[in-house]
Amino acid sequence: MCLSASAAFGQVVRGRVTEQLNNKLTPLNGATLQWAGTSTGAVTDSTGNFTVPKPENSNKLIISYIGYRTDTISVGSTEQFLNITMRQEATLQEVTVSGGSTTIDQINPIHTEVLTTRTLAKAACCNLSETFETNASVSVSYADAVTGAKQIQFLGLGGQYVQTNVENIPTIRGLGTTFGLNFVPGTWITSIDVGKGAGSVVNGYEGMTGALNVELQKPDFRAETQKSQWLLNGYVNSFGRVEGNVNFSRALNEKWSVGALGHVSALRTKIDQNGDNFMDLPMYRQYNGINRWKYTSERWMAQFGVKALYEDRTGGQLTAQNGNPLYQFTNETKRIEAFSKLARLFPDKPYKGLGLIISALNHDQKAVFGFKPYAGVQRSVYANLIYQTIIDNTNHTLKAGASYLLDNYNEQFGNTPLPTNRTESVAGAFAEYAYTASERLAIVLGNRVDYHNLFGWQWTPRMHAKYHIHEMLTLRFSVGRGWRVPNLLAENFGYLVSSRSVIFRDKLQPEVSWNIGGSLTYEFLLLGKKASFITDYYRTDFRNQLIVDLEHPQQINFYNLSGRSYANSFQAELNYVPIKRMEVKAAYRLFDVRQSMGAPLGESVLLEKMMISRDRMLVNAGYALPYDKWKFDATLQWNGPKRIPYMAPGYVHDSYRTMPLSVTPGFYNLNAQVSRGFKSGWEVYLGGENLTGFRQTNPIMSAANPFGPNFDAASHVWGPVTGSVVYLGFRFKPQT
Amino acid sequence: MKKGLMTLFITALALVATWSVAGDDKEIKIKTSAVCEMCKERIERNLSYEKGVKEATLDVKTKVVTIKYNPKKTDVAKLKANISKTGYDADDVVADETGYKKLPGCCKKDSPMHHDH
Repeated sequence: MCLSASAAFGQVVRGRVTEQLNNKLTPLNGATLQWAGTSTGAVTDSTGNFTVPKPENSNKLIISYIGYRTDTISVGSTEQFLNITMRQEATLQEVTVSGGSTTIDQINPIHTEVLTTRTLAKAACCNLSETFETNASVSVSYADAVTGAKQIQFLGLGGQYVQTNVENIPTIRGLGTTFGLNFVPGTWITSIDVGKGAGSVVNGYEGMTGALNVELQKPDFRAETQKSQWLLNGYVNSFGRVEGNVNFSRALNEKWSVGALGHVSALRTKIDQNGDNFMDLPMYRQYNGINRWKYTSERWMAQFGVKALYEDRTGGQLTAQNGNPLYQFTNETKRIEAFSKLARLFPDKPYKGLGLIISALNHDQKAVFGFKPYAGVQRSVYANLIYQTIIDNTNHTLKAGASYLLDNYNEQFGNTPLPTNRTESVAGAFAEYAYTASERLAIVLGNRVDYHNLFGWQWTPRMHAKYHIHEMLTLRFSVGRGWRVPNLLAENFGYLVSSRSVIFRDKLQPEVSWNIGGSLTYEFLLLGKKASFITDYYRTDFRNQLIVDLEHPQQINFYNLSGRSYANSFQAELNYVPIKRMEVKAAYRLFDVRQSMGAPLGESVLLEKMMISRDRMLVNAGYALPYDKWKFDATLQWNGPKRIPYMAPGYVHDSYRTMPLSVTPGFYNLNAQVSRGFKSGWEVYLGGENLTGFRQTNPIMSAANPFGPNFDAASHVWGPVTGSVVYLGFRFKPQT
Repeated sequence: MKKGLMTLFITALALVATWSVAGDDKEIKIKTSAVCEMCKERIERNLSYEKGVKEATLDVKTKVVTIKYNPKKTDVAKLKANISKTGYDADDVVADETGYKKLPGCCKKDSPMHHDH
């Protein structure tokens, strides 16, 4: 980016560029400013100040500095002195730092970890479900040994309690919960924000333990080059899984740009490592694409696009046995989504903004479990209107707005419509006030009220606070209410691969919880090198919860909580940079999750929740050479024992109080990866997952008799079903 | 098997770490014709991918790039050639014409648009 300072212009714009360092504004020397679409610009001096002549044909000033997020501001009047604060760029690939450590969003009062493309590239495979391998807060595991569905664990609870948004649109919810994590390819993602505890009320009420927001590749206008941007990715692993991704974007003119993201993947090999005559992973194929458009002008910004997905998978038995028919699991998903985001900008009042998000989707799913068919259709419309302004000065900001959600669920299991089929219509209004009391203290108060056509009024208050005890020590606190309407089968899909009979004991009720917690972030020097220590504690307390009860070996009972249900989560994490471009992370996490169970037998016993490892440890080390010529990365995890249902042959379930408890062993998991970059823009990576080769020997109960009464392919799956896997892949980004 | 793999990996990581901070590297400072942050990035990136280069850091103000390299794998002439090919002068070696032509207009040393900074 180069600049000129010709004196041919009459008007000049003055200002100052700073960065927020240890909560102080520090001037940035050498930041470049350039008017969009022109070659006119300037560079800041050692005090961060600049003077730039304003051309007549542009009013968009692009501020850039290597390692910082490029910012564009609209300049209305030349009289106004511009104060610009740059944010550290999290996604810039060329910066020569290794991204092993957890990046905490310094400015956000909500404890938010930011996963950048660098973090994501550490685990090269393949979609959103696999991007958390080096993260201590989110863990992902297979829900069962047949369907290939993945389940998130966050603060001790399932992924359904995390609000998962794609670009601030609630996306992985409803029927998409089951396989949704597999529907976001990794190379499409530019960053993921992991917000812990109560989230912002602006995006809704469904976040009960936290909020994930995934940002995808966007087409952007670049002043210095109007060429098309490409990213190609290919991947193959030793099981035979192949993937291909294409990202494309192009600026059509100064205002319009277009982007396309494409994905194809498949596994066509039948793998049965444990010899139980069941495929360890389902064969599948997926076609997935997005076409999106972006319009930017001085006063308007618009983005809209469509997403389309087709996926089918086939799992189950390899051959028919013992004169029985073949037990097969098949699933076909067709999904189409459309979205639009419209923002009205006020060039002379940069703190003001008006945004409207509208999205609609149709999700169509058909599955067969043995002989039992399942069909589900979800149709949803979502709209969110947000107005942002200040009260008096920028120490008081206000976001307020209204939202509307329409969900229509139509599901059939075994040709019978589910009792939970329904149309939900939810209208809501919200306001969030953020007060910056001083350089040290920031408080956010949020409130929303929603009216649900089936469940009436719901109130969602939330509060966040951030306090800098001193420059290097930050305390965050949050408390808030969350609620959601569960989807029984979609959230427990894997349990249907069993002979258990499905029993709906109660009428559907919304799940309601309060989350309270906080974190402490400490940055310091250890033996002269940068280190950080992050510790957090959160507690989720349910007022109502859908209890999924698998204690009876032949039943799956769904009922509403009567008694107590809570999840305590504690985490401590140390990040350290022992030598330049090397980062080491060590983390420990403790979960204490309990719920009252026993309604089917008229009891109420507080039991440890199943499938939750009380203890988990993670060590990650990464090293990179300048400009990523070589990168090395490895993660070792230990997952502690968990409780699983007691299912010994002949067991009669007649009491919760005295029933025997089964506990699994703990296990290690090692992943490692090496990648080599080339000057031409090629990058080749080679890696391995589950390198210790540990796998559970008999994940499926009664595998030889899938039509018998004791068949169960989910409730005893607690560890890896497959052994080590090696993968090879490439990324190619043509250099400009 | 488990322990073997882990030991292997940790040894490999330690080896890489030792190699990267090996003591027999040489350091050289070369004056270039770089004018901005974008030039800095181009020069540093291309040098980083040159055989034998451990690290290259350019100071935009002084236009001097400091290169840490392994003298057994490369020499100063090759490093200067690399900078020249990127399109910039390197001490006495003038910018390669083909490389120079590829630079964005604003990065060119005799660009009329430039002001010193």
